[in-house]
Amino acid sequence: MKIRGGQPRGRRLQLGVRGRDGGAISALNINRTGAPMSGSEPLDRAASSLVPPTGGKTRAKDSFDPIRHQLLTGAILLATTIVALFSSGAVLAVCGAALAAVHWLSGRRWARAIEKAREEKRFLDEQLIQSQKLAAIGELSAGIGHEINNPIAIIGQEAEWMRHLLQEEPGKTEEISDSLREIVRQVERCRDITQKLLNFARKMEPVFQGVDVNRLVDDMAKLVEKEAKLRSIRVIRIFQSDLPALFTDPPLLRQVVLNLLNNAMHAVGEKGAITITTSASGRDFVNIVVSDTGCGIPKENLGRIFDPFFTTKPQGQGTGLGLSMCHGIMDRLGGRISVSSEVGKGSSFSLALPADK
Amino acid sequence: MEKFRVLVVDDEIDFLETIVKRLQKRGLDATGVDSGVKALKLLEGEHFDVVILDVKMPGMDGLDTLKEMKRKRPFMEVIMLTGHASVESGMQGIQFGAFDYVMKPANLDELMEKMTQAYERKTLHEERKSSGRSGAAGSVRG
Repeated sequence: MKIRGGQPRGRRLQLGVRGRDGGAISALNINRTGAPMSGSEPLDRAASSLVPPTGGKTRAKDSFDPIRHQLLTGAILLATTIVALFSSGAVLAVCGAALAAVHWLSGRRWARAIEKAREEKRFLDEQLIQSQKLAAIGELSAGIGHEINNPIAIIGQEAEWMRHLLQEEPGKTEEISDSLREIVRQVERCRDITQKLLNFARKMEPVFQGVDVNRLVDDMAKLVEKEAKLRSIRVIRIFQSDLPALFTDPPLLRQVVLNLLNNAMHAVGEKGAITITTSASGRDFVNIVVSDTGCGIPKENLGRIFDPFFTTKPQGQGTGLGLSMCHGIMDRLGGRISVSSEVGKGSSFSLALPADK
Repeated sequence: MEKFRVLVVDDEIDFLETIVKRLQKRGLDATGVDSGVKALKLLEGEHFDVVILDVKMPGMDGLDTLKEMKRKRPFMEVIMLTGHASVESGMQGIQFGAFDYVMKPANLDELMEKMTQAYERKTLHEERKSSGRSGAAGSVRG
């Protein structure tokens, strides 16, 4: 393959790998492969140089080894768009999914190849989302079944017992009313779950209002403070005073913050600290971070904590909907929630909300 | 400031009378009742923009009243008033649609500010509903 109109004149040949966010994430020297393809000579002499593409972030090199291997051996590359840029403006595009061809292209053909790769990526992304959705629905149904089944079993048992009492020992009204109380309690529990699910499903559009983030966070901190004091948990506030204006849905944000504080209290149990930090990343984002000195989250659970019904709390103590609700709310607010945690040291939940510009 | 209708629900009569008077003095159309049941009854025939609702009341408590109010008037905003903060009741209240929590003794300025914001939210909600376009009432400065 020869390059027409775009012979690489530069000494260094870069190979950028486009990350999921569309940005180049690193560079890889491919001159050995590139040279025969391009038919250009000087490349071999530039063998040792590895230059990250401008503006790209360099990630750990080892993540590219499989790609390098595939490239060198001519194996099929999967779902990755790789673009090599030359000082002349010529581009090497290796297009995704089913690809087998390595194109040396320039100008319009390059654009076409990229567009094709993007289409493939979109298709694969959609498929992935679809399968993730199906998996989530499966888990959700299992969760609902499990959560509702327990109270139903108790209700059945109590009703059975009441029938027995009424037939055999109708005088034991005290015991009958005990059973009734339990039934009411369990129905309440079911209602709580369905209520949460309804809130979950209801795609009520957020109402955006101007919010003083520090005030809002401080109000929620006050709600937990008294209980925290009783359990020797210190609530530390580190607030940035000059936060950019934020337009968001106040009750929804309160719900998220309070949920995180409640989780932090649970994680700490007794004696420890909860630190609430507010800050701004430039003028674009306002961050709220809730960190605790609690038990931490094992690595294997970290990927699942935002899944509906995932809980590590004992039966009946948590529905496993809190964090998935937070995740859903943050999506609707145009923000993000993320977590970092270390077992035995604590967890840290970060919220990032787009600032009003 | 726009005059909006406020309903205060609290079983402590002394507190109730004082706060209603003070809110009226600040130019609000304020009414007070001393129980959840009375509040719900009043809502059958009357319209309010914002409710200040005590969490702890004998008989029908604040949370039950809140649930019922939100069922009847989903756009009416409710601010919970609480003497002793509890995480659990806070979580429930907000989950059932309370706009905010205010700790007793309530600072009147703070309460006014929160009520104004709650009223703004109600207006935005209704505007959006009547315009029929979701997101139409996006960010409006308050």
